[in-house]
Amino acid sequence: MTLLSIEDLSVVIRRPGRRVAALSGVNLSVEPGEVVGLVGESGGGKSMVARSIVGLLPGGSRTSGRVMFDGADVLTMDAAELEAFRGHGAAICFQNPRGALSPTRTVGRQLVDRLVTHRSLAPAPAREVAAELFESVGIRSPRRRLDAYPHELSGGMAQRVMISLATGCAPGLLIADEPTTGLDVTLTREILNRFRLAANAERRGVLLISHDLASIAEVCDRVVVLYAGTVVESGPGPQVLHEPAHPYTRALLRSVPDIDGRPVTATPGAMPLLTEAPSSCPFAPRCAHATQLCTADLPVAGPLAMDWSAACFHPRSGPLDDSAEPPVPAEIPPAGTVPSAGTATSPGVKESVLRIEDAHVVYRSRFGGGGHHALRGVSLSVAAGERLGVVGESGCGKSTLARVMLGLVQPSRGRVEVAGQALAELRGARLRRLRTRAQLVFQDPIGSLSPRRTVQDAIGEPLRAAGVPAAERASRVARALERMELDPSILGRRPHELSGGQAQRVGIARALVGEPDLIVFDEPTSALDVTVQAQILKVIAEVSGDSSRGSVFISHDLATVRGFCDRVVVLYLGRIVEEGPVEEVFGNPGHPYTRALLSSAPSLGAGYGGPQVELTKDLEEADAAGGCALAPRCPFATDECGEQEQELRPYGASLVACRRAAEIPALIER
Amino acid sequence: MRILRFVLRRLLQLVPVLLGVVVLTFLLVRVLPGDPIRTILGPNATEADAAAARARFGLDRPLWQQFLDYVGGLFTGDFGTSIQSGAPVGSEMALRVGPTMELVVIALAVALVLAVVLGIWSARHAGRFGDHTVRVAALIGNSVPEFWLGLVLVLVGYSVLGWFPAPSGRVDPDTELSLITGADLLDAALTANGPAFVSALEHLALPVATLVIVIVAPLLRSVRASALEVLASEAYTAAAAHGLKGRLLLRGYLVRATLVRLPALAALVFGFSIGSTVLVEYVFSWQGFGQWALRGLLYRDYPVVQASVLVIALFYVVVFLIADVVHAILDPRVRI
Repeated sequence: MTLLSIEDLSVVIRRPGRRVAALSGVNLSVEPGEVVGLVGESGGGKSMVARSIVGLLPGGSRTSGRVMFDGADVLTMDAAELEAFRGHGAAICFQNPRGALSPTRTVGRQLVDRLVTHRSLAPAPAREVAAELFESVGIRSPRRRLDAYPHELSGGMAQRVMISLATGCAPGLLIADEPTTGLDVTLTREILNRFRLAANAERRGVLLISHDLASIAEVCDRVVVLYAGTVVESGPGPQVLHEPAHPYTRALLRSVPDIDGRPVTATPGAMPLLTEAPSSCPFAPRCAHATQLCTADLPVAGPLAMDWSAACFHPRSGPLDDSAEPPVPAEIPPAGTVPSAGTATSPGVKESVLRIEDAHVVYRSRFGGGGHHALRGVSLSVAAGERLGVVGESGCGKSTLARVMLGLVQPSRGRVEVAGQALAELRGARLRRLRTRAQLVFQDPIGSLSPRRTVQDAIGEPLRAAGVPAAERASRVARALERMELDPSILGRRPHELSGGQAQRVGIARALVGEPDLIVFDEPTSALDVTVQAQILKVIAEVSGDSSRGSVFISHDLATVRGFCDRVVVLYLGRIVEEGPVEEVFGNPGHPYTRALLSSAPSLGAGYGGPQVELTKDLEEADAAGGCALAPRCPFATDECGEQEQELRPYGASLVACRRAAEIPALIER
Repeated sequence: MRILRFVLRRLLQLVPVLLGVVVLTFLLVRVLPGDPIRTILGPNATEADAAAARARFGLDRPLWQQFLDYVGGLFTGDFGTSIQSGAPVGSEMALRVGPTMELVVIALAVALVLAVVLGIWSARHAGRFGDHTVRVAALIGNSVPEFWLGLVLVLVGYSVLGWFPAPSGRVDPDTELSLITGADLLDAALTANGPAFVSALEHLALPVATLVIVIVAPLLRSVRASALEVLASEAYTAAAAHGLKGRLLLRGYLVRATLVRLPALAALVFGFSIGSTVLVEYVFSWQGFGQWALRGLLYRDYPVVQASVLVIALFYVVVFLIADVVHAILDPRVRI
């Protein structure tokens, strides 16, 4: 019997002066023991589906259709029935686990509360069960963790606790709302496997909500794709992933950079915010295959095969990388072959725009001794026209490195040179002038723009700081804007009137307008929607192709870096563990850490071809005592690794900080 | 253990604070225009009378010597002699602090309980009739002057209804209450004097009610605001979405998270109500600390002013210390 079946569900939210058709005629079902992925960009209605299943719709919403759970309609339940159904019938794992855990109650108590409520256990045995549950989701020393408060947990640990809370209610259906957003690749994989396990071992239904098709693809039986509140495609995971029928699904998949180096294709436009249920195909304005029929009539979901349907008049067929039909040709030029304005520079005589030598950064704790060693001796250089990628898990010092490059943080030891001049040796006006030579593009596009300034002011700011007269400023701002393919009408707007993609273009224009020698991109796409990400990546690729300028691209996402960097640096706990040409590092990694990162990266295509390597612990659980920092987590570590500091030494065309790098291929074989 | 260390450290910080208060009040009270000697001698006294009186209170000596005498006295628990009454300030104050603290502490306790219960109830019924009623009532209570409110309560509670005793004194003298701390309710309880306990309680009712009505509004608004915040928080939504029952939800996920911000405000309100008691004491002939300190200030009774400012400063620091400790106990994220 079907566990959950949503039939023709529509939700309209009315607020004073606003009306949003959040969901329009959604059909969806989940069987026991099945993992269903619900995919789409923000505004597509994913969270609204989750909320309507547990009857938690926002105020002012009107629903039609049915949400049948075990034969009862959730939408018509009264308060008492809902209370029993919530948690026990269907339980949500929330997107931000730290925010969703009550800060003033120990996590053990919170779990016991759920066990007592839904499993009718007495508090004492409930505590025992709670410890077992903690252990089953991979929390080490569970008894000690029971008495921890949420703020004492790391992000990954909090997400595990959240999962245990949801499963602790013994629900038939587990809903996970973006369970891996903000987690590192290594953790993402583990967390997703927990859900697969819940479906396999405990016969629960799992609804996995994500904006990222690639990452959840592996664990899903079926995938449902939402666009503007409508289901555009649903079908078996592998089918939807590799031979998607709906143009939107194809656009979504093409927008994601892949670890195997497949080029990214950007789809112009953004998802519309509907005020009425659509009367024509909502994707038609962005679709390359749209005909008059598409703009006149609403396609209904037509079956293509067993269990596979797409709401499209012209469903596509064939595998995704059929490059014969790009929707709107806008491919990112692959690394190394950058056709741009000034490719005249001869290779070989490249002057370096950034040079860092043995930089150490320590963030001292406020009182007394100790402190956090964010960088421990990093040396690197970036040549003009070069694109350097920096990757690593969060907490590895990526952002600190960006701040050091821009002179926002003074290294406690070591030397930083921008455009041939050392930052530490300059003061006053000359330092300010040097600072204009290096610019930063921020992770949060809207938050990094002042809310009280217009776009014109924001972009012109670096020029004003450099003392450029107003008339010239205006013309240069207009030029930068044109390069970002933004309409001049945007100049008078303020950040809250911009979409994420527009705001990030403004951020890039601001960095670009002063013609700097170095632009540092600090996770520039991670806060954006998938199709918008692809558009921004395209812009960045174009900008970083200027031969007079060096670019540094910082990301936790390996695939993005592979897309258009020439050289890659892998950071681990403030040290460079591997450095080399992009093809070499991705194709023939030397360091176990790089191997592990590549192994756990999600992929739609072939993925990482080399042998899989898995680290044995989470980052926060491994306290390095000395020697190689990775030693406590490394599956190949010997006693000597824990004693010797590792230095970068040549390995193929790269530099690798591992004494056993050459032996590892043989070790993996065994 | 950590909390004990924190308390000790803060108590040590008390020393420089009080020293500063001692120096400042000593100097400031002497800068004020007005002469305490003239106020006790009356208009017909000669210069010779004034000089003699000044010598008697040691006011003719150099300032630094007066200060050293004063500080030296403080170490032995001697607050000096009141110029106005000629009695030792220490023993006068001991009689006065008890009744006022009893009034303020009971009023604050009642106000806190009311604010928490009504504030959370109000937040849970936000936007409905009951919520608006509570908020408007609290606002009105906050906006009426306390002496007027006291008079109205006396009029209604004593003159019209006759439920409460006349506003003259703190306990019926016939109950023969023996004095220990000066706080009559506490004394009655300590001596197991039943009739005095009841009488003290009856006398307390109206002044406490006056003070409570005046101070409950800011507390209630704060509780309501943070309860609304918690109700809208992701954490509370998550608990509700997991189907936890009403009572558990209220106790485990709403109340404590709501109370986190209350202690700091309560400490401020405590300070405010020490000031408010002056008028309340006048209306109810309370013979408390506020009245005494005010009279000392009016007559430039230097030792009385110095002692009262010192004691108020001490109470402030101790109350804020208590508030910080309570905050740390309520909120596990606070490190002390």
